[in-house]
Amino acid sequence: MNEHSRILEREKLEIAETLRSSDADLRLPAMVPREPFPIEPLSPDARQQTRAVGQRVTRPDGRLHGLGQTKYIDDLSFPGMLYARIKRAGIASARIKRIDTSAAEVMPGVMAVLIGKEIPTNTFGPTFQDQPVLVDEVVFHAGDGVAAVAAVTEQIANEALDKIVVEYEPLPAVLDPVAAMRGDSPKVHAPDSNIYATKVVRKGNVEKGFAESDRIFEGRFSTQMIEHVSLEPHAAIADWDANGRLTIYATIGRITLARSDMARTLKMPMSRIRIIGTIVGGNFGGKNEITQEPALALLSKKTGRPVKGVFTRGEEFTSTTTRHPIIMDYKTGVTNKGRILARQIRLVLDGGAYCSWSSTTLGKACILSPGPYKIDNVLAEAFVVYTNKTMTGAMRGFGAPQVCFAYESHMDDIAKALGIDPLEIRLLNAFDEGSPSPTGQVLHSVVVKETLRKAADRFGWEPRS
Amino acid sequence: MKQRGRGIACMWYPIGFTVDANPSAATVKVNEDGTATVLTGTVETGQGSLTVLGQIAAEALGIATDDVHVVSADTDTTPMDTGAIASRTTYVTGNAIWLAAEAAKAILFETAAPMLGVKVSQLEAKDRKIQVKNYPQRNVSIAQVAHRSQVVLGQPAIGSASWNPPTVAMDPETGQGKPFATYVYATQIAEVDVDDETGEVEILRIAAAHDCGTAINPMLVEGQVEGGISMGVGMALQEEMLFDAKGRHINPNLTNYIMPTSLDMPEITVDIVQGFDPTGPFGAKGVGEPTAVPTAAAVLNAIHDAVGVRVTSLPATAEKVLAAIKAKRATEQKQISA
Repeated sequence: MNEHSRILEREKLEIAETLRSSDADLRLPAMVPREPFPIEPLSPDARQQTRAVGQRVTRPDGRLHGLGQTKYIDDLSFPGMLYARIKRAGIASARIKRIDTSAAEVMPGVMAVLIGKEIPTNTFGPTFQDQPVLVDEVVFHAGDGVAAVAAVTEQIANEALDKIVVEYEPLPAVLDPVAAMRGDSPKVHAPDSNIYATKVVRKGNVEKGFAESDRIFEGRFSTQMIEHVSLEPHAAIADWDANGRLTIYATIGRITLARSDMARTLKMPMSRIRIIGTIVGGNFGGKNEITQEPALALLSKKTGRPVKGVFTRGEEFTSTTTRHPIIMDYKTGVTNKGRILARQIRLVLDGGAYCSWSSTTLGKACILSPGPYKIDNVLAEAFVVYTNKTMTGAMRGFGAPQVCFAYESHMDDIAKALGIDPLEIRLLNAFDEGSPSPTGQVLHSVVVKETLRKAADRFGWEPRS
Repeated sequence: MKQRGRGIACMWYPIGFTVDANPSAATVKVNEDGTATVLTGTVETGQGSLTVLGQIAAEALGIATDDVHVVSADTDTTPMDTGAIASRTTYVTGNAIWLAAEAAKAILFETAAPMLGVKVSQLEAKDRKIQVKNYPQRNVSIAQVAHRSQVVLGQPAIGSASWNPPTVAMDPETGQGKPFATYVYATQIAEVDVDDETGEVEILRIAAAHDCGTAINPMLVEGQVEGGISMGVGMALQEEMLFDAKGRHINPNLTNYIMPTSLDMPEITVDIVQGFDPTGPFGAKGVGEPTAVPTAAAVLNAIHDAVGVRVTSLPATAEKVLAAIKAKRATEQKQISA
């Protein structure tokens, strides 16, 4: 080897070394470091204090999160465990003509396939039981599941989904909530109407209030569909044991309801079902009810093995609940000094394909829609309608962020038109201790004005001329 | 050019379900060394609820948070609970745990009264001791009392209880009724910069003042407020699920569905407004959901203040804000030329 080639060789090596070391920075070490986890518990003073209430106590789970010791569903594994995937319809509205799972069933590594017809009670839902676990006849939105597969690896389960053949007869899709309310609209579920729940709050007489008002303001506001986007997707493991007892490990915020839903869909006594809620990696309302759990349970029953299912990020969007888009019409009568005399509100909620928590969202949105203000004359009407879109359900605030956007935008428009400072018009109208709410409830521990003043102080809010 | 604006929004929000029963049950077991175990059917969903519930049990028993272990979320071993929904955990589950702890404490007091030579009604639990009210020099440690209760008298100090918020059904015609036991209140004020050439909005800071009754753990309340504001920022400016003409979701991924990251977060100040609700555990109400309620409204009012356009549909994307600015300029020019 001459000098020249040696230099070349060395340079090559140096480059390779540089690359390797930069790469190593990005990788986890191949060997687990010898030093043990710092498991000596920290007990900061606040955790040792009596009294306990009012202390800035650290969370016992925080340390486990920080050290990667928290076990989420994806960290759990059982001997012989299978992986499930669900085939999604991909079409918003259709009748299923035929499902052929035979090619998937004979694939090496595929242990079981499940379709909707095999589920003992193929409906669930916290208010109306209008949601199938896997659709068997009609597809109500594109994210609906049509079949589930359990296989020895997730990759094989994914490949098996492609082998399942589903023939659809497309049906007209209802996408616009306002159009869905019309009599001539195609119907998503019920034969007579797409409006599946309504709510009214009526207090005093709005017509009289408008007649007494100096000025009347109107506005229309609308909001979008939003996904919770929890870091941890919906995930569960089902283990049907030889005694016919079912254990479900799930990332879910409501285990008591989950057990009741499982007992109903599987037609099993509750004493044979155990739900273990693991630490939930983000909920925000999105994990308040079961999703794939009955399908996983039946796949476990079919195979005699534990079955894990973890939604993809795509499924999180298309196949789980979301925040309701709401179209909000406001009409408000005020005096020239800014006192609200009457407010009329009409809310139309896009309820998506299934009810889920829509009637709760409808109720809260309707009750809260006049805002935290003393108004003697209120008429709030709210409607929620089915559409062939991802179902809407519980999400942090149950309709409140939507109506707050409307009533507070409206409030600023009124303040501007009357030449009143936005803070002042709110202080003028806000609830006091003992104020009646729009539903006639006498309110207690009311501090809305205190929050207004506190935030204004902190912000440095100065009235402008 | 960047235009600065400020916007205010206040809100009210209820705790618990609308009229419907949403009970919680709980069991509190005082161990024979004076520490305690709480059994609850609620689930830790990241908000810190188990920490707060442990603090409530500790407060009721007169011991420290570290003395309490909370077991949760197993239908075979924990009592029923309506769960982590409707901002109800601190208020409803907290009340159940408080009552269960009081029941366990009553057993301790029965044991302690003859030890201290006073009536049960004269006792209080404080600083890991059971002591005579207004004469704390006469006391005995909870550990001693718990041990005697269980090992000598055969009366382990275990209490169970349930609680459900009191409501009155709403009239179906008028909606009149008492749908919720209690409400919380909040105000957020946002300061934004709006680029009037691009429509881009930057949220600079948010001052948040929230009521939650007694803050059982102020640090976790602040955490909730900051988290709620991040969801509000997404709702105000970025997040939207879009569908094609056939009803298929077209942005089911985090590349095209834009969420706020730490870079989008404004500077946040949190003030917890002093409050006390006699119906809640140690005066507490709740805080989870309301933190996300006023943010979008405050931001949209700030945009209006900055550039004088009212965006009436969320999210206020740069495209939407710019279109509104252009539409406003067009009308203004028309007025000038007319």
